[in-house]
Amino acid sequence: MNVSPDPFAGAPDAALLVAYANGDGQAARLLTARLLPRVLAQATRMLGNQTEAEDVAQDAMMRVWKIAPDWRQDEAQVSTWLYRVVANLCTDRLRKRRSGVSLEEVAEPLDTTPSAVAQMQTQERMMALSNALSQLPERQAQAVSLRHLEGLANPEIAQIMDISVRSVESLTARGKRALADIMAGRKAELGYDDDEPE
Amino acid sequence: MTMTNPNDDMLDDLFAQAREVKPVPSDDLMARVLADADSMLPSSGVMSAAQTSLWARIMDAIGGWPAVSGLAAATVAGVWVGVAPPASVEDLTASFIGDEVSISLFSTDLMFDAGALGDG
Repeated sequence: MNVSPDPFAGAPDAALLVAYANGDGQAARLLTARLLPRVLAQATRMLGNQTEAEDVAQDAMMRVWKIAPDWRQDEAQVSTWLYRVVANLCTDRLRKRRSGVSLEEVAEPLDTTPSAVAQMQTQERMMALSNALSQLPERQAQAVSLRHLEGLANPEIAQIMDISVRSVESLTARGKRALADIMAGRKAELGYDDDEPE
Repeated sequence: MTMTNPNDDMLDDLFAQAREVKPVPSDDLMARVLADADSMLPSSGVMSAAQTSLWARIMDAIGGWPAVSGLAAATVAGVWVGVAPPASVEDLTASFIGDEVSISLFSTDLMFDAGALGDG
């Protein structure tokens, strides 16, 4: 049996992608282990809803598998491309949410321990934030999410969104202002009083 | 620099909470994603199991990815993918390992006639 060390150790994502495209199942497993958590996290933060986030995550990974045979090393980093894919899939979902039913009903917790109540409040807040994002123009929602939810720097956001850094700054500033206005009337409801956030 | 606008404070707090969200993919989600990967694998089986392990041994011989300097990772993979007939591998191995080779990326169809390699 082959007991050599993992030949993929330290391999860049793009190399794994090429290996996968050539039929290597181990590359697929390693890519999944690396990429799926990031993709799921980004989607969960933008959508505030676990089920929808999982759907987006699976869709995004499907795009990874599909693009593998055509992946060009010199075009973009896999991570940059994937941020864009997830952001677009999320704004698609948010657009549908705008025209559909608000998903803000959160089930009453069966247990009322402080931690369960706190968890429910966090879920409510995340869903409220996500619904507020859905009311922004999509480019603003993406810029704000990449900046404030993913913590990315403006130059990287500019690459992901294929715009200038100045445009990123403008979008994030306007988006953040708009979000603050949308959320303003909900402070008490979300457990914030005028002194400090809970 | 930040205006302590209460609305901004709330928003900043919401952002901070959102950044803390780090869900772990469930086993079920992992399984679905891997099943998708399987279903999207090229059916032509570009690399057989034997060639896959051969590639792994070649990478071992090179010294792994950190040792592959001067070559884009995809270029390396593309080179080895094109080496379809096992008979010619050993000759090519000798000529590629240890050299800084500038190789243009192959077309998206990574399967190409091994005979064409002789011209390159």
